[in-house]
Amino acid sequence: MKTICLINGSLRGKKASSLKLLSDIESRLPDSEYAKTTVRVKARPQGGYPPATLRQLATADALVLVFPLYSYALPGALMRLLEDYHAHATSGNEHNREAKVYAIVNCGFPRPVVFDECIRVLKNFCRRLSLDWRFAICISAGPVVVAMERVPLVNPRLKKGLKAIASDLEGGDRPPARDYFVRPVLPAPFCLVAKRWVERKMEMR
Amino acid sequence: MKAVIISDGDAKTELSENLKAGIVAALGAGGNDVRTVELEKDRVAPCLGCFRCATSHGAECTNKDAVSEIKRDAKRLDLTLFVTPVVFGHFSSTVKNAVDRGTFSRHWDVVIGYGSDVDEEERSTFLDLTAKHCGAADIVHPGMVDRVDVFVTTSAAESAEICDRLRQDLLAGAQS
Repeated sequence: MKTICLINGSLRGKKASSLKLLSDIESRLPDSEYAKTTVRVKARPQGGYPPATLRQLATADALVLVFPLYSYALPGALMRLLEDYHAHATSGNEHNREAKVYAIVNCGFPRPVVFDECIRVLKNFCRRLSLDWRFAICISAGPVVVAMERVPLVNPRLKKGLKAIASDLEGGDRPPARDYFVRPVLPAPFCLVAKRWVERKMEMR
Repeated sequence: MKAVIISDGDAKTELSENLKAGIVAALGAGGNDVRTVELEKDRVAPCLGCFRCATSHGAECTNKDAVSEIKRDAKRLDLTLFVTPVVFGHFSSTVKNAVDRGTFSRHWDVVIGYGSDVDEEERSTFLDLTAKHCGAADIVHPGMVDRVDVFVTTSAAESAEICDRLRQDLLAGAQS
């Protein structure tokens, strides 16, 4: 039985799109084949994450990071977990060097170009720890995409991406797949109006 | 000019301390009002994603800590300098928490990453990541800063070059 560690990188609790995406990927992994553990980032892990939490990451066969994009990059809270895990793994503690790593990232921005550096950061993290980076699902306008997930024939790319993670976990030594970019089902003028609204708000501050 | 230097108090190295001393000297030379803030990871809360800052009057943050103090003065800042260790080509979590919560000045931001073992890919990731904050991607972006400069230093010699560049830019700004 494979051990999968699902990491919820959002601090928004039940309102988070990340939580819904995490539940979706979890439901695609049968309990008979996978032992699943979930780690949720904390706002203030005083003194760092406990060794038991870090061992959950270190012993997993696969890590699935689900998080929102903050300023083109990882949220600070998730970064703290990765820093603590890196320190744990490089200070003499064993970690599974063959663990596969996947990411499901969502953001409010409509263009997929925003995800590039975030993925590069995760690849650098995997390289530092000799982990097996696989691929990412990058979701533009995350809340909209998640809200429409159950609507038939909408967002087939998201479903394909989630299925690909489940399938890749089963597979052997296949090369990493390409990243999946899920675009919003929103007309361009709507995105432009939203952009102007945000800019106006920022100028008023 | 009113400036603040935000750094990671838990990731001090010889390189970072020399760099900060150089920056303070460069800024102080022009008689600028410079404040230095060292953030500690256990004392800085991350952004909760509650959007209170975007929806409330006065852009209030739910969290009350050292970052909210900087944020309160952000409107009056001419320059914000972030000094952060480069971790996987990213800001450290502590400095990223400050970035996520909107401590930028909106006029001029300088981001300096440091680390003696930063490799080429991490350096390149860090530079590209930050360059997008100035709107290079032409999308909705949270910073909307007039100008952003980004540097990475791995040695005392590179730090000295960065400080020289800052000094020249400040001088050019004062003359114009």
